[in-house]
Amino acid sequence: MIFIAKLGIGVLGTALVGAAALSSEGFIYVNVQEKHPGGTHVNVLVPAALVPTTLHFIPRHHFGAAPHDLRTVLPIIDAAIPALNDCPDGLLVEVVDPGEHVLVSKRAGAIVVDVNDPDETVHVSVPLSAAQSAIHQIAEATPAD
Amino acid sequence: MTTVKSAFPAVALSSAILLAATLAVAASATRYLHVKVTNPTTHELVRVNVPLTLAEKVIPAINHGELRDGKVHIGNLNADKVNVRAILDALKTAPEGEFVTVQNTGDDVRVAKEHGQVVVHVIDKESKENVDVTVPWDVVEALVSDTTEDQLNVEAAVKALETVGDTTLVRVSGHEENVRVWVDSRNTDTE
Repeated sequence: MIFIAKLGIGVLGTALVGAAALSSEGFIYVNVQEKHPGGTHVNVLVPAALVPTTLHFIPRHHFGAAPHDLRTVLPIIDAAIPALNDCPDGLLVEVVDPGEHVLVSKRAGAIVVDVNDPDETVHVSVPLSAAQSAIHQIAEATPAD
Repeated sequence: MTTVKSAFPAVALSSAILLAATLAVAASATRYLHVKVTNPTTHELVRVNVPLTLAEKVIPAINHGELRDGKVHIGNLNADKVNVRAILDALKTAPEGEFVTVQNTGDDVRVAKEHGQVVVHVIDKESKENVDVTVPWDVVEALVSDTTEDQLNVEAAVKALETVGDTTLVRVSGHEENVRVWVDSRNTDTE
């Protein structure tokens, strides 16, 4: 009986530590809702800590020109993301067109993009630290020029 | 017990210093550069709110095109052998008032020094467009600091903007578009 209790505590502890590690970098949240009747509704919540691991399994050719393009702007990204992290939450960019509304804001350590157009609404939230590590990983995917 | 009593003033002093430091940090509010572009005809709107601390960090990291090491290269800044720095030095010591007024059939231009700021006012009579540019003197000096003749120091200007009060830098109003660029301590674009 004591053994089962110890085993239970061990399993529970491992699960808690695992969950804490997974959620330590926040979550990437994507919500897409098509507006036409019967439209698709996509709702994805992924622990940001999984991104670096997941990127390892993506064949390099799928990145296309992204690694090269990202390498050229990497110093800017490395300067911008920590600085943005230190900034208070708030709206950064808003674009209103007839029929389209785009909002880019910083909220709780994440960059949040909301798009509302005649066809769909899109909400994307990416933790800044996850974005930086993912960008680095993609940029380093192929040997530097 | 005596030890605790004797330590009380030191603890109280430390707490007071800590509290004062916390309040000082809280009081140093983030400054923002705002850009708002509106088109009254098409009802288009673009709003950009950039924390100046973010701009300060990002601008030196950009080395692309005419912007390098926080400085932008301006091709014609020293055109016709005009020494911009000498003009700025003269402006700095000049009394407040109007320096240049040009009135012709196409547009009116007025350049003046008012309340420690350089003010440029342009009225385009054909397009009925008004352009008002107001640059605090500290920012003007920062723009030409540590530069060669054909450069403007954007990084220094952004740092200088941190210390100036809430002010509208650029206002363009016309039939097609209204533009406003200003700095304040609010993270929204409320005027």
